[in-house]
Amino acid sequence: MSAPPEPPAADADADVDAPPARERAAIRLRLVGTAALAGALIAAVWLAAMLVVGDFAGSVETTFALGSLAFGFGLLGWSGAVALGRGIESMQTHLDTDTGWTERDARRAMARILGFGLGVMLGATVVGSVVATIA
Amino acid sequence: MISTRFVLKRLLLLVPVLVGVASLVFSILHLSPGDPALTIAGERASEEFVRQVEESLGLNDPIWVQYGRFLLDAAQFQFGESFIIQRNTAVREVLANKLPVTLELAIYGQLIGISLGIPLGILSAVKQDSITDHLTRIGALAGISVPIFWSGPLLILLFAQVLGWLPTSGRISVLYNVEAIRVTGLVTVDTLIAGNWEMFVSAVRHMILPASVIGVYSMALISRMMRSSMLEVIRQDYMRTARAKGQGSKITVLKHGFRNAMIPVITVIGIQFGGLLGGAVLTETVFAIGGIGTLLVEAIKVGDYPIVQGTVLTFAFLFTLVNLGVDITYSILDPRIEQ
Repeated sequence: MSAPPEPPAADADADVDAPPARERAAIRLRLVGTAALAGALIAAVWLAAMLVVGDFAGSVETTFALGSLAFGFGLLGWSGAVALGRGIESMQTHLDTDTGWTERDARRAMARILGFGLGVMLGATVVGSVVATIA
Repeated sequence: MISTRFVLKRLLLLVPVLVGVASLVFSILHLSPGDPALTIAGERASEEFVRQVEESLGLNDPIWVQYGRFLLDAAQFQFGESFIIQRNTAVREVLANKLPVTLELAIYGQLIGISLGIPLGILSAVKQDSITDHLTRIGALAGISVPIFWSGPLLILLFAQVLGWLPTSGRISVLYNVEAIRVTGLVTVDTLIAGNWEMFVSAVRHMILPASVIGVYSMALISRMMRSSMLEVIRQDYMRTARAKGQGSKITVLKHGFRNAMIPVITVIGIQFGGLLGGAVLTETVFAIGGIGTLLVEAIKVGDYPIVQGTVLTFAFLFTLVNLGVDITYSILDPRIEQ
């Protein structure tokens, strides 16, 4: 039989709790951040191309609107998953229609879409503002 | 006892939902064809006048400025005035007139669905594989499968045309002026408050068919959910223990089973209520009841953007509030959920 473990001190307790919280925040930030970066890059490249060959002003509007579409969809889906996800999971189980859909996966997928949309919006705003200032 | 922290956390979820919906509405309206300035000014207006309208609406500003302004206005529930449907009337006023119509329909429909669906579901579970169970399941399947635009006209044909028991359309007989006694906007409630019995009877008779059409659909899903949930609970050890202690079968089911079986059913009721608000469009059209659903369709058709924005955000707000109610009910039924 092993000896019972010593109860941790209050400070040690805080230290034990802190890393997972930071880690979780980092994971979330990475999840949204990488998607936002991808969105911003795509928007910037697209608008740069439009500056050369197309209707730049119209493209900025369309790109921003498309970004807000993805952002709104992601945000709505994310909050929907947070608010209703567990309920939907249990409803599927009870109705024998389980598809393997989970609240956690839905939340993560929606966070990526949200981040991508945000990135596109930011990219369109930055490129549009810079070009307007230069012009 | 529900903790304030739990309710606050759920209330905070309102923010991303409304921002998400506002963003979606903003983007869809910007991506869809059509020019709001041209719609307001009219097709025969001069180019200069159209520019003036654009200027006054702020459509010349960069799109991110428009987006920020739109979110700020939406946060204060300011959507300006209707362009076309009720020209120069504030959207808030238009919605205040139409919302009670849809709410009344959805509430009565849901009440019918709950009051029929829960007992039928319990009965079906308790008498599993009996003729009662089979009939209830067939009824539930039929209720889910039959679309409102088909069951509505059939009910009108039977109860209004053939039997002549109920009116075909509207909210109240044209003989009565319900606007004169308006307090809540819910006709059945206003007529009761006014103490006018004849008007109340007329309002109830007009409500029976549309609410039943919605109610049957809702009942079908609720009873199916209640059945499967109750079947699962009935097989639990604590139910067997209660019966082994000599407790009657009815008391065991209602006292120990009902509360636990209700948790997944509450979810369905919450999701359904949101669906009813949106799905009321069909019922409103079939029964010629001018509610918020019909208003939304009309606004989309004619391009009345402020009405579209206001209506969609109102739907989202109501849906989220209903789900807050569902969460609170959850935590009352099973306090562990709060954790």
